[in-house]
Amino acid sequence: MYLLRLALASLNNRRFTALLTVFAIALSVCLLLAVERVRTEARASFASTISGTDLIVGARSGSVNLLLYSVFRIGNATNNIRWESFEHFAEHPRVSWAIPISLGDSHHGYRVMGTSSAYFDHYRYGRKQPLQLAQGRPFAEDPFEVVLGAEVAEALKYTLDDQLVLAHGVATVSLVKHDDKPFRVVGILKRTGTPVDRTLHINLAGMEALHIDWQNGMPARGAARIDAEQARQLDLQPKQITAFMLGLNSKIATFTLQREINGYRGEPLLAILPGVALQELWSLMGTAEQALFVVSLFVVLTGLIGMLTAILTSLNERRREMAILRSVGARPWHIAGLLVVEAFSLALAGALFGLLLLYIAIAVAQGPLQSHYGLYLPLALPSAYEWSLLAGILLAGLLMGCVPAWRAYRQSLADGLSIRL
Amino acid sequence: MSRLLLATLLALAAPFAVADVRELQWSDLIPADAPPPPPPVALHDMSQLADALAAEAGPAAAQQSPAEPVVKELDGVQVKLPGYIVPLDMSEDGRVTEFLLVPYFGACIHVPPPPSNQIVHATSELGVKVDELYQPFWIEGPLKVEHATSELADAGYRMEAQKIYLYELE
Repeated sequence: MYLLRLALASLNNRRFTALLTVFAIALSVCLLLAVERVRTEARASFASTISGTDLIVGARSGSVNLLLYSVFRIGNATNNIRWESFEHFAEHPRVSWAIPISLGDSHHGYRVMGTSSAYFDHYRYGRKQPLQLAQGRPFAEDPFEVVLGAEVAEALKYTLDDQLVLAHGVATVSLVKHDDKPFRVVGILKRTGTPVDRTLHINLAGMEALHIDWQNGMPARGAARIDAEQARQLDLQPKQITAFMLGLNSKIATFTLQREINGYRGEPLLAILPGVALQELWSLMGTAEQALFVVSLFVVLTGLIGMLTAILTSLNERRREMAILRSVGARPWHIAGLLVVEAFSLALAGALFGLLLLYIAIAVAQGPLQSHYGLYLPLALPSAYEWSLLAGILLAGLLMGCVPAWRAYRQSLADGLSIRL
Repeated sequence: MSRLLLATLLALAAPFAVADVRELQWSDLIPADAPPPPPPVALHDMSQLADALAAEAGPAAAQQSPAEPVVKELDGVQVKLPGYIVPLDMSEDGRVTEFLLVPYFGACIHVPPPPSNQIVHATSELGVKVDELYQPFWIEGPLKVEHATSELADAGYRMEAQKIYLYELE
């Protein structure tokens, strides 16, 4: 105990260097833990976005690409698929339910998704949780009704019965708007922590109505313009969609149906198993994650070596201190112990301060991260893995402390009181 | 590392813990009296070349029936079976809680997918962390055989997996 008191008193005497050392370690610890936390939370949010869907079908591209645009609203589709193909597989005897998805428009940077009421009945996230409405109802037959994700409603301050205008394309700032066909908010979904929160849901007829007079790739002018009321009277049966999700009667038939869809003669289609595509995505991201992790490990190592340097350079200045300790009866191993305790307390203080920094950073960044990247970082206690990382850092600090301890031990044996300063 | 250790420990402990676990081969899942598969079709039959376009224009190719015969005697038997995991559902921390166990990795697109009696639909409460899809695993638990009542009914093997551990080459 007196060793600890002595070590702390000695550190207090050199508090400026000690504080800097602690700060360096704290920053590195904070970085390491932040990388770890972002990694696990990103995985968790990806993993909990889709559940219970057996196959996702879209135009032929890559499995990861299809998964990203259809479920996570990242990137864009390579092509649309025909409505007949969707109907063919939706009525397939092995299929229990089918959700059509039509993408491509946006509202203030939030994606608009055209779908059918099957989406509210069958889409599942997390541990097979269904979507729930916080207010209002799902969209009905009228093409100009919209159901908002929780975050869209919150960020843009929409309430039920508000009118909003959708924009063409997926840019945050849109120059071309579908302002002749406003949509009415009929429902707001409960928060799910998935990309659903950042999506506006309209029905397929609404998607079709938006683009009905866009025959030339631009809004029609003059008499060719079709307003909302006229559009309601027209046949709004969609001719194409972007992708669809399937639930099967028997999971055993997954491969068979996947092969049937991939070999469909009507048009080139791609069917993927979401779980497999997610696994592929992770092995892709794994390399980058490993690299980040290694870099942050090296930063921690640099912090610890900084501590080692600080203690080692202080050794010479402290020969008199050591000599006095020896003269009042301290044994050489006391001196060594003193330095180990010193290194350990620096590492411990660094780790604790790093943890504090991490929580401050999370508290500050939580909101912006959630709204810009859809990544929710909870203010949770460190996980078992994070504790083990912290323990590893402390152990490394302890081992580092042995180096100056050994030197001081040798010096105090050799120098004794004979040193002249 | 710890997982590896756990897997080894489990593998070592398994023979002592439960004596009546039956180790299965994938061929055990096909009944002995199952009708033999149809003779293989030549992959590159030049004489069929003229029909290629006609086939392209035709309706979607019919698939083989997924309701292959199953071995009913295996119902309720505690078994262990090695195979590859095809994830269907995951928990929030990325552990696979529902998967199909198949005898070979990767959908080889040269041949049809495995028939229904070569797939085990498994669920696991705890889940298993799958780092790479090409890692084989042992799964252990009571096998449930579902009879095919009609062409499209659920037919095949299901299992509530009690133990899942890495398959190691001896």
